[in-house]
Amino acid sequence: MGVVTPIGDTIETFWTSLVSGRSGIGRWKRPIDERCYARIGGDLSDFDLAAHLGRQPRYAPHLVKRCLSLMRASPLVPKLVAAAALQAYHDAGLPGFRDAGRIGHVMAGHNVNAGYIVQNVLTFHQSDPDYIEPLFGLLCLDTDVLAASSELLSLSGPSFTVGGACASGNMAILAALDLLRAGRAGAMLVSGAPIELEPVALHGWTMLEALSYQSFNDAPERASRPFDALREGFVPSECAGAVVLEPLDGARARGARIHAELLGAATTSDACRLTRPDLDGQVRAIQLALDDARVDAVDVDYINAHATSTRLGDAVEASAITRVLGERARRIPVNATKSMIGHCLSAAGVVEAIATVLQLTHGIVHPTINQEQSDPEIDLDVVPNRARHAAVSLALSNSFGFGGLNSSIVLGRFDA
Amino acid sequence: MTRSQMFEAVKANIERIVEEAAGREITESTSMVDLGADSLQIVEVVSRSIKELRLKVPRTELASAQTVKDLLDLFERSAQQPAAR
Repeated sequence: MGVVTPIGDTIETFWTSLVSGRSGIGRWKRPIDERCYARIGGDLSDFDLAAHLGRQPRYAPHLVKRCLSLMRASPLVPKLVAAAALQAYHDAGLPGFRDAGRIGHVMAGHNVNAGYIVQNVLTFHQSDPDYIEPLFGLLCLDTDVLAASSELLSLSGPSFTVGGACASGNMAILAALDLLRAGRAGAMLVSGAPIELEPVALHGWTMLEALSYQSFNDAPERASRPFDALREGFVPSECAGAVVLEPLDGARARGARIHAELLGAATTSDACRLTRPDLDGQVRAIQLALDDARVDAVDVDYINAHATSTRLGDAVEASAITRVLGERARRIPVNATKSMIGHCLSAAGVVEAIATVLQLTHGIVHPTINQEQSDPEIDLDVVPNRARHAAVSLALSNSFGFGGLNSSIVLGRFDA
Repeated sequence: MTRSQMFEAVKANIERIVEEAAGREITESTSMVDLGADSLQIVEVVSRSIKELRLKVPRTELASAQTVKDLLDLFERSAQQPAAR
């Protein structure tokens, strides 16, 4: 596994921050047009790839050199994904994988280079078309992020990007799971790429009343407050994550470090292009994921909610969870990683899968922070404000995307 | 702007972008292809040089430039045209 987030750029620092309830949300570091309503988020625009790589002593020098060379002219997102992918690659022991041609790469994410594209559009119009970034024609593509990391790690199995809006991460995990079950690959890197935040999209989401922009601009770390009565919209952020999926037999045979078991996944559509969440669609996705994993709702003891801090979204998800789990829904921890890292959009499913795995492994559930006023509509144990011990062993992680795209994955604690 | 200044801009971009050129001497007779540059590296060296020198160069004429000398000849001809914004 590997992550780059505003609360840590390694698995260890990410976990420490999650348990301590640290928020990665602040005012923008990058210059944002004053006319944009959005003022706060999880900003990784100052990510220093060379410095990050310099802090990883176990990376072979030729890989570090190749990474910096590949990323020399690249915008932000390929660098974040490469950093996360390198961590996962090493953590999974892939340098020793016998048949590199059987390792594929699926990347969750679309519209990821938005900031880069906007900058070059402005250069085209305000300066001169010939002065756009020379490699723009290649680097603007989502697939360039995928391909650059694939070249970095010499991955030549099945490789493509997966688009599912805010559910992209889970969708990519599902796609990789299917490829492995079908025998099309021996191992799969699943990376989650964020969208490079830029003012036009941010302004657009604010105009849809989806994004928090009213009450917390002067206290940004309080803005992402899933399930809380004062929630007013999601807080965008940039994070990248990467996991390596492999059939159990193969992983065991080569002595790989196994963090958890991916037991199943499912996705449904609401046949509705709006941002409105649908209770039935979410219930179906969760139930189908449990079916795919061949487990019962009664065995689930932890849920990592999608919970973006919107009024309607959090309420509908709470209802969906209650519908599937019944009484049990109130008695198990249901927390929201987004309360600390914000909503990293297309990367969310991968980063939150990692948060889920860490909690299964450590037997601790992280808090949902910023719980100041409970909402009577939300009848769940959201692990308010403080982490606690919980020997959890079967988890759901939900992601629900704009356009009625629902997904859920099932993860089990791995006891060696 | 002098030819020498244009040469320095191109040379700096070659050294920065074409890793295969490390340690090799760059002169007007240098061909980037012979240095081992790939097509993207050549596009980058040429485009960044044009941008830094605030030139307007017809793209169709770039294709025929084989050496640094050919490029500089083209840049000098273009410098006599009105500069871009």
